Amino acid sequence: MLDDLKHDFPIFNSYPELIYLDSAATAHRPRSVITAINQFSILENSNIHRGVYDLSNNATGKYEEVRLKVAKFVGSENANNIAFTKGTTESINIVAQSYLADRLEQGDNIVTTIMEHHANFIPWQMLAEKHSIELRIAPVDENGDLIIEQLNALIDDRTKLVAFNHISNTLGTVNDIEQLIELAHQKNAPVLIDAAQSILYYDLDVKKLKIEFMAFSGHKMFGPFGIGVLYVADQLMDEIKPYNYGGGIIQSVTVNGTSFSNFPFNMEAGTPNVSGVLGLGSAIDYIEKIGKRMIKEHIGTLTKYCVEQMKQLSEVKMLGSPKNRSGIISFVVDEIHPHDIASFLNKDQIAVRAGMHCTQPLLHHFGESATARASFSIYNSKSDVDALIKSLKELIKFWA
Amino acid sequence: MTKEELQVLYKAKILPESKNPYHFEVADQADLKIEAYNSLCGDKFQLYLETEGELIKKVSFYGFGCAVSKASTSLMARKLEGMQFKEAANLCNAFVSSLKEQQPLQAFEDEELGILNQLMRFDGRIDCIKLGWEAIDKNLK
Repeated sequence: MLDDLKHDFPIFNSYPELIYLDSAATAHRPRSVITAINQFSILENSNIHRGVYDLSNNATGKYEEVRLKVAKFVGSENANNIAFTKGTTESINIVAQSYLADRLEQGDNIVTTIMEHHANFIPWQMLAEKHSIELRIAPVDENGDLIIEQLNALIDDRTKLVAFNHISNTLGTVNDIEQLIELAHQKNAPVLIDAAQSILYYDLDVKKLKIEFMAFSGHKMFGPFGIGVLYVADQLMDEIKPYNYGGGIIQSVTVNGTSFSNFPFNMEAGTPNVSGVLGLGSAIDYIEKIGKRMIKEHIGTLTKYCVEQMKQLSEVKMLGSPKNRSGIISFVVDEIHPHDIASFLNKDQIAVRAGMHCTQPLLHHFGESATARASFSIYNSKSDVDALIKSLKELIKFWA
Repeated sequence: MTKEELQVLYKAKILPESKNPYHFEVADQADLKIEAYNSLCGDKFQLYLETEGELIKKVSFYGFGCAVSKASTSLMARKLEGMQFKEAANLCNAFVSSLKEQQPLQAFEDEELGILNQLMRFDGRIDCIKLGWEAIDKNLK
């Protein structure tokens, strides 16, 4: 277990009593990341790829260093596999609009799953509607695990993409992405992995796993808001058209037409989020200093402990019981609406999420209108779980 | 609002009202059906109004919601019966405005609405309180 890391996060100096169980929504930022962002404004601020003066050269160098750092972080040696985006949502939309849209023909299909975040669902649904193709949705069983045989049956030689998350943000299910990728590749379909919930503590070696597209956000891995990543495999980089048009992505512009740079430099039109990128780089340093394995172990231990404790409460029902669970637990309590749960927990300084978690199709599937959700990170400890259980017990008693 | 204050508020009004909501039933024969839905949290009530001309004779509602939205909608249902459309819309509009602090609630001098209004200080729950009221305001004005 990691015990002292809470001190790395200044938010807990500001709110010593805070029990933050909503890291699946956004993680807090360690001091080193905050410093990196601030330092850029104080010492390094400049636009990139535009100036020949020292400040601009330095900023450009640091920005591009992070591109390579991100590539290595996901198992690639090629910095050009990495485009910086606003976040997971934008990364997925880029694949939908800049890669997939133009290659869809009647009779094609896209395969996704019922457990997706809306960000990895609506872009495909919109494409399917517009191009009159089929969106095929793989189901989950009562435990919240994907039904692999049914998913497999949905993929055929007209499947243009198989898009799925690594970890469900509502159920906490950890999908066996190696197996899912294999199934897609057997039918020559490329995959898109939504790694928003897993990038922090799962090894994601894009080369070894032969991933074509992968998306994640900075703010769920201790980085800043407004910065995300789209990984595109070597063989598909030339297939990605610009997403937004403007400066910074062109080779030449004349009154008759424009020629564009190659991926990833055709993605970042306009001035990019430079301090966000540097913050992301610092977040990767922080994660690597601790080690993904340690982070995973810590979060795994806490989650297991919380699941065991919740099982003792007969009024509490957890949504799903996946074979392999990450640091996320969605639950409902008899007779008490998730919002009321969250409000009362808030009075005990416990922050949980309540609602539909941007997964309405999944909640409909389980017959729930909303759930409460607790999610863990490295700054949580067993005492946080104890506090959650104590508050829940008190609330259940109060409500009776 | 402290935890104790919150408990008192729930015990005194929210829980009794939400556990025994007023006319909490499907009324398919109703003359007017209005949906009150919060897409952020999933709370959804169908409001049923039995009317005679522009007079609201009976209000029922049914659906899924938290204790606050259910209690608030239940109180609203009680208040609206016997009102004309315009009167009902005005009341709902004034109540929603009071939640946005655009108008002080003292104008109502209504104990029950006062209690609901106290919840305004209860961060993040204004959407729950105003759910049904806003739907009536939008549909009847």
